[in-house]
Amino acid sequence: MSAPRTQDYVELQVTTNFSFLRGASHPHELTHEAAALGLKGLGVTDRNTLAGVVRVWSAAKSHENFAMRVGCRLDFIDSHPSVLCYPTEREAYGQLTRLLTRGKTRERRGRKTSVCEIVGSDLYEHAEGQVLIVVPPAALDDAFERALAALAHDFPDHVYLAGSRRYAARDHRRLYRLAELARTARTPLVATNDVLYHTPERRPLQDVMSCVREKTTIQQAGLILEANAERHLKSPKEMARLFRDHPDALARTVEIFDRCSFRLDDLRYEYPHEPVPPGKTAMQHLRDLCTAGAAKRYPQGVPQAAIDLLEQEYALIEELGYPHFFLTVHDAVVFARSQNILCQGRGSAANSMVCFCLHITAIDPLAEKLLFARFLSKERDEPPDIDVDFEHERREVVMQQMYERYGRDRAAICATVIRYRPRSAIRDVGKALGLSTDVTARLADTVWGSWGDSLPDEHIRQTGLDPDNPEILRATLLATELLGFPRHLSQHVGGFVLTERRLDETVPIGNAAMKDRTFIEWDKDDIEDLKMLKVDILALGMLTCLKRGIDMLNADADCPLRVDDIADFPYEDKAVYDMLSEADSVGVFQVESRAQMSMLPRLKPKEFYDLVIEVAIVRPGPIQGDMVHPYLRRRDGIDPVIFDKPSPEFGPENELKDVLGRTLGVPLFQEQAMKLAIIAAGFSPDEANGLRRAMATFKHDGDVSVYRDKFVGGMTRRGYQPDFAERCFKQIEGFGSYGFPESHAASFAKLVYASSWIKKWRPDIFCAAILNSQPMGFYQPAQLVRDAREHAVEVREVDVLLSDYDCTLEAAGKVSPITRYGAFKAVRLGFRQVRGIDSENAALLMAARDAGACTPEALARTGVMRRTLELIAQADGFRSLGLSRREALWAVKGLDFTAPAKAAKSNEAPLLALMGDPAEAKVELPGMRLPAEVAEDYRTHGLSLKAHPCRFFRQSLAARGAVPASTLKDKTIRDGRVLSVAGLVLIRQRPGTAKGVVFITLEDETGPANVVVWPDRFEANRKTVMTAGFLLVRGKIQRDAGGGVIHLVAESFEDLTPALGLLREQRTVRPAQPEPVPDLVRSRDFH
Amino acid sequence: MKNARRLTAVNDAAAKAGLHPFQTVADALALEPDLITEDADPDADLAALEALGDWCVRFSPAVAVQAPDGLMLDIEGGEGLWGGEQAMLDDLVTRFRGAGIPACAAIADTVGAAWALARFGKGRRVVPSGAQRAWLEPLPIESLRLSENDAETLVTLGVSSVGGLLKLPRAELARRFGPGVRLRLDQALGDAEEALTYRRAPPPFFERLAFFEPISAPDDLLRVATDITAAMSRRLAGALSGARRFELGFHRVDGRVESVGVGTAIAGRDAKRIAKLFAPKLETVDPGFGVEAVTLAASQVERIADAQGRLADGVHENACSFESGGEDGVEALVDRLANRLGEAEVWRPAARETWIPERAVERAAPLAASDKAWPADRPRPVRLFHRPEPIEAIAETPDNPPVSFRWRGRTHRVRKAEGPERLAQEWWRAQDYGPDKVRDYYRVEDAEGRRFWIFRAGLYASDATPRWWLHGLFA
Repeated sequence: MSAPRTQDYVELQVTTNFSFLRGASHPHELTHEAAALGLKGLGVTDRNTLAGVVRVWSAAKSHENFAMRVGCRLDFIDSHPSVLCYPTEREAYGQLTRLLTRGKTRERRGRKTSVCEIVGSDLYEHAEGQVLIVVPPAALDDAFERALAALAHDFPDHVYLAGSRRYAARDHRRLYRLAELARTARTPLVATNDVLYHTPERRPLQDVMSCVREKTTIQQAGLILEANAERHLKSPKEMARLFRDHPDALARTVEIFDRCSFRLDDLRYEYPHEPVPPGKTAMQHLRDLCTAGAAKRYPQGVPQAAIDLLEQEYALIEELGYPHFFLTVHDAVVFARSQNILCQGRGSAANSMVCFCLHITAIDPLAEKLLFARFLSKERDEPPDIDVDFEHERREVVMQQMYERYGRDRAAICATVIRYRPRSAIRDVGKALGLSTDVTARLADTVWGSWGDSLPDEHIRQTGLDPDNPEILRATLLATELLGFPRHLSQHVGGFVLTERRLDETVPIGNAAMKDRTFIEWDKDDIEDLKMLKVDILALGMLTCLKRGIDMLNADADCPLRVDDIADFPYEDKAVYDMLSEADSVGVFQVESRAQMSMLPRLKPKEFYDLVIEVAIVRPGPIQGDMVHPYLRRRDGIDPVIFDKPSPEFGPENELKDVLGRTLGVPLFQEQAMKLAIIAAGFSPDEANGLRRAMATFKHDGDVSVYRDKFVGGMTRRGYQPDFAERCFKQIEGFGSYGFPESHAASFAKLVYASSWIKKWRPDIFCAAILNSQPMGFYQPAQLVRDAREHAVEVREVDVLLSDYDCTLEAAGKVSPITRYGAFKAVRLGFRQVRGIDSENAALLMAARDAGACTPEALARTGVMRRTLELIAQADGFRSLGLSRREALWAVKGLDFTAPAKAAKSNEAPLLALMGDPAEAKVELPGMRLPAEVAEDYRTHGLSLKAHPCRFFRQSLAARGAVPASTLKDKTIRDGRVLSVAGLVLIRQRPGTAKGVVFITLEDETGPANVVVWPDRFEANRKTVMTAGFLLVRGKIQRDAGGGVIHLVAESFEDLTPALGLLREQRTVRPAQPEPVPDLVRSRDFH
Repeated sequence: MKNARRLTAVNDAAAKAGLHPFQTVADALALEPDLITEDADPDADLAALEALGDWCVRFSPAVAVQAPDGLMLDIEGGEGLWGGEQAMLDDLVTRFRGAGIPACAAIADTVGAAWALARFGKGRRVVPSGAQRAWLEPLPIESLRLSENDAETLVTLGVSSVGGLLKLPRAELARRFGPGVRLRLDQALGDAEEALTYRRAPPPFFERLAFFEPISAPDDLLRVATDITAAMSRRLAGALSGARRFELGFHRVDGRVESVGVGTAIAGRDAKRIAKLFAPKLETVDPGFGVEAVTLAASQVERIADAQGRLADGVHENACSFESGGEDGVEALVDRLANRLGEAEVWRPAARETWIPERAVERAAPLAASDKAWPADRPRPVRLFHRPEPIEAIAETPDNPPVSFRWRGRTHRVRKAEGPERLAQEWWRAQDYGPDKVRDYYRVEDAEGRRFWIFRAGLYASDATPRWWLHGLFA
C-alpha cells in the first residue's frame, strides 16, 4: 500500500462541552489542539446550540493559518436524521439562528425551557444557503435513504453525507456502503471524526459525563459508553491514513470549509437608532445632550477644564464609534428618572465627563481627580463598560421598558454560563462512579468555598475517608477535571444586548424561566469579544433605600434640604466622616460589615477619596496581596511613602508614581494592578486584558501559572523586588471574579456617603427607609431598630389601626432631638415586619380602615383576610384597642368573616364591639409574662421593643461569669485579659481570605460583641460554634493597635441555646419528644 | 433548600450529638462527620409496623395500625388471660424490649386517652376505668391529636394543657376552632365514639401432623412428607396462591427438630412436585429415637394465576408432572436440578452490557427473561477462549490485519480479514489504565476457510514488538 499522502484537513464534526454532558473538552482546548495538529481549521457543531462558537472563534484568532467555521449539529425530535448545518454566508447564518430560536421558544406542555426542539420541516424552512452534512444513523435503513434523497433533491449541491472511522468491527464495510449511498443520492461523502474531546486522555471524563447525562453509574452504563478513546482530534496525516480508500471525502472537508464565507466578525454591531432624533447624527445629538447637561451640572458656568475634557472624550467616542452606546444608556437613565426611579452608573466608562454631564453618574471627574480618567482605551479596543444600578424593587420596570422600546426581537438578556463548581462536580462524579450518596455528600461537604487544583488530602481525611483509596482518588481527580465545565445556561442578572436588526438573526434566543424574559445563548465575555453592545441594568437594594429616604426627607417640612439625586447631598460634611471614623455604620452601604467596621477607625476617612479606598481595600485582592497593612502604615506615617522601582537600565525610577501616587505607592485597585502588568512587568495591553479575564473566569481559560511566570518574571527581571512582584500577582489573583476597579469604588463611595449622611442627620428616616427596603445589607431588622433607638429615635410597635404596610414616620414625643435638618420623628413599624403579611393583604386592611372600619368586626366584614388579623393579633398589634395579644387572638378567632358586608362603617364604639357577641361567655385567658411576650415578638416579627431576650438571663449569666457586651468598650480593660461574654449569635463568617478563622458577632441587651475563633478552637468546638443560637464565649481581649477595635479571642464555649426555650411559657408536663430548639433569631451565616 | 436531603429519624447516639429529624443531612454531617445515614424507606417502615401488629395478635385479635409509629389494641375482655391489665402491659412491653423495640404503652377506656398516655404519660400507665379525665388534665394539648395549627394557636392563647382547654366554654371554643378540637376532646374523654380499622393478619401457611407412635423408618418419613405436602397444597389452592419456599420440620421425641427446605423457581403448589424435591433430602434427616410430629411451613407466598392454579389443583394433579414437557417441564427440571445441585449451579447465560468480550456474559436466573442482547454489528465468535492464547503474527503497521500467524505450532495464512475493532479497557476497574490496555480485534479467515478472532494488545508503538493473541473461533 502506498504511503498516505499528507493533505489539508478540516474537522467538521466537533462537539465542545457546550453540548452539555457530551463534549469533554473546552472550546479553547479543542482549538489549540487542532492548530497544533496542523489542521487547516475547525468547524464547531454543538447540538442545537451556538453557545460555544464564540469561544472557539476567540481562541482561533491567536493562531495563524487557522480558522474556524460556525456550524451546528441539528438533532430533531421527529425521525429526521441529524444534520451538521454550516451557513455559507450572513443571511444563512441568520436563518440558522432563527431556526434555533424557534426550537428554543416552541410552546409545548412539559417542555423544559433549556431544550431546543426542532422538527424536520423546520430545517426545510431555514435551509437556504446552508451546507448540510447528514449524519448517518447506526442502521442505514430505507427511511434514512429516503430522507437523504429528499434533502438532496430539494437542496441540490448543498447536501453531503458524513462518514467516520470509529474503530468499530465493520468500519470499512460501512464506509463503502456510505460511499455508495452518497453516489446514488448525490450527496458527496465527507470525512469527519465526530470529535468529543481534544485528546484521548479525556475518555474517562467523557464516560462519566455520559453517566451523568443518562443518570446511571459507570458500572451500569454498559454500551452507552464509547468502546474506545478514538473520538479525539486527529492529525491530517492520520485522517488521510484512515480514509486512504476515500481521499475525496477528505478533500471535501476543505471544499466545504472554503465554501462557507460566513465569519463571526460579520456580526458587526449595528446600534439601535431609536435614541437619535431624525435629522441629527448620533454624535451631534450626544454633544447637544452633554452641553445641556453640563449647564445643569455647573450652574455657575461650565469650567474650561470640563469643556476641554468633553472635547477630548468626544473625539475618542467618535473615533471608536460609540456615540450610540452612550445615547442608549442615557435613554435608559432618562426613562428611569421619568418614572422617578433612582439610578446610578458605574464602570470604567462611567468615570467620564460625558457620563457626568449625561447624569449617568454622580462622579465629577474634575472634582474627584480619579486616577483613571481615560474611560476608553484605543489599544484595548473594547466596547465601553457602563453598568447602571437601579432601585431593586423597580428595576423590572426599566427592563420591561427596554423590551418595549427596542422590541423583543431586538433586545434580550445575556446568558450566564453556570459552571461546575467543586461541590456540584464531586457530587455528579461521585454519583456516576457509583459511590454511595453518603460518601459523595461527605466529599462535597469538605469543600468550603473554593478549591484550587485538587482537593487537599487532609480535607478528605477529616471526613473519615482515605484519600489514597483508588475510588476516592479517581473521584477527586475526575471532579477536578470537570471543574469549570459548563452545566447549563442561565440568564444574566441584567446585561441587555441590543441590536438594530433582528437579534434572532444574530444569536439564538430562548425563554428564561422567569416570565417575560428572554435571553440569548452568549454570555458577557462573548458579547464583549464580538464587540456587540451591552447595557447592564442591575438592581441595588441601597438605591431603593436611598430613594425612600430622599422621599421622606423631601416630604419633611422641617428639613430645609431638597434632594433630587445622589449628587445633591451636602458635600464633604465633617460630621458624616466623624461618624464613619467611629465605625458607627450599621446599615450604611458597603462599609457596614464587620471587616469594614474594623477598618473604618484605622482608616479614619476624612474626604471622599478615602471612602473610595475604604470600599476597595476590604476585598480579596488587596487582602491576598497583603497590601492593606503597608497602606495603613504609610497613611499613619509609620512607614515612608516610597515607590518600588525598576533597575535604572530598564526604566525611569518613578515609572509607578503616576499609577500609585494617590494610594501612597501601594496598589489597591484593579486598574493599578493592570497598569503594573503593563508598565512594570512588560505586558502588552492585550496580554494584560487576557490576564484579567483569565483570573475572572474560574479555571477555564488559559493557564494561570503561565501568567504568573510572565508577570513575576517580568517584574523581577526589570529589577523589582521579587516579594513585591509576588504580592502584586497574588493581588491580581485575589481580584478574581470580584475585581474591583477604582471607577466602581468611586460610584459605590457616593452611595456610602449618601447613606451615611441620612444616617447621621436623620436616623429616623434612615431606619424607616432601610426597614422598608428589606431584605438587603448585612443586618436584620432587630439590629437596625436597635441602632436607631441608640441614636435617639423612638420606634413604635406594629398596630392594627396605626401601621401601614411600610414603616412610617409619626410625630415624635416631646423629647426628640432637633438638628439643622429637622427634628427626629418617631418610626412606626409597618405590617411588613410581621412574618406572613404581604403587601396585598396589608393594602386590603388599609383600604378598609380608610373606609372607616376601626373594629375587628368591621374589618372582617370589609374583606380583610382572617389570617391577616390573626397575624397582627399574634404580633401584639391590638394594643391601641386595649387588647392584649391573647385577648386579641381570641377575639379575632371568634369573628365571622363569612357574613355579608352589612355596612362599611361601624357605628359601634370600638371597645364595645370588641367584646363581640354579648351572648358569648366571658373567657379568662392566662396572662403572659414579659419574657414570653418578648419571645412571641421575636417569633412573629423578629424583634421586640419590649426588651432584649438576654436581659432575662443576666443574673444567671453573671453567675456564670459573663459580663455585658458593653463592658468590652471600656478602655481601661487591658489587652489579654480573660473575659466571658454571652449573647444571641447574629452573624457567623468564615471568609475565604481568613485561613479558616471564624468570626462571630454576638449581641446581648447592651450591644454587640465581636468574637474571633482560631481554626484549632473551631475544630475542637465545631458543633457549638456552627449551631448555637445563644452562646457564651470565654476568651482573651484583643485590642487593635489603633485602640478602637476590640475582639474577644475565643478559648471556650458554652451553648446556651436550650435556655431560650425557658422564655416561652412553661408547659405543665414536658412532652416525651424533645422540643425543637427555639428559633428566636436566625443568624446570618456566610461561608 | 427544597431538595435537600433531610433526616427522618435518628438513634440515641445521634440525638445525643444534637441531631434531630427534619435536619438537613449537610447540617448533620457538619455537626457529626462520622454520621452514618441510611435512605428512609417509609414502605418498609409501614410493613415492619404491620408485621409487629400481626405479632400482637397474641394479645388481642383486634389490632389497628396507626402509621407511622403506633399500634392500637382492643383488649376488651382479654386481660384476664394475663393476670390483669398491668401484667398484660408489662408482658407486652417486656417482649418488645426483648426484640430491641423501645415501646411506650398505656391502657385506657378510650382510644384518645390511651394514645395520649402512651406518648405523654410517664411509664406504663393503666388508667382506671372512668378516670381518664383526671389523668388527661395535666397533659399538654398536643396529646389530644389536634391539628398542628390548632395546637399552635391554643398554645399561643395560653392554653397549653388539656385541663386549660377543658376550662374554656364549649360553644365559644367550637366557634373558633370548628368541630375538630371538641371531637378530639370528647373522644379522649369517652363522650364521643371512635371507630378503628382493625387489621386482619393473613392466615399462615402452616401444616402440622402428629403421630400416635413415633416414626423413624425412611419410608415413613417420605410418606408423611407426601401427606403433609398434599395438605399444604390444598390449603394453598384454597387461597389461590403458591409458594416458593417450603420448610419441612421433623420434631423428634427428644425435642430436637430436624429441618429441610426446598425452593422453587416460580411460586407453585403442586404437591407431587414439591414432595419429589424433598425426597432426596430426606436422607439427611436423622430421626433419632423417633419423630412424633412433622410440620410444613410455606413462605414467599404469592397469588398465582388461575391457569397455573388449575394445573396444580387436585383434579388435574396427574396431568401436571415432570414428564409432561412444555414450559412446565423446564420449570420442573430446573427445580429438580437446582435442589439437587444447589441453586447457584443452575443458570442461564445472558448478555451483559459491556464492550469487553470476556465480560459480556453473566449468569442469570435460569427462568429469567433477558431484555438485553449482544450488539448485532459486533460479530463475536461462537467459541470464546477463557484465556486468549498468544500467537505470533506478521502484520503491517500501524493497524493492518496480519498477513499470517502461528497458533499452536501451525502457520495460518490470512486470506480475508476485517477490522480492527478497537476496544479499550474499562478504566474504572484497572488502576493502571493506559494505552496498552487497548486491544485491536480482527476477524480473519485462513486459506482453508477457518475463521479466527485475534487481537493485538496495545496501540502500535514503534519501539515495542506488538503482542498478538487468539481469543476465539468462529463457525
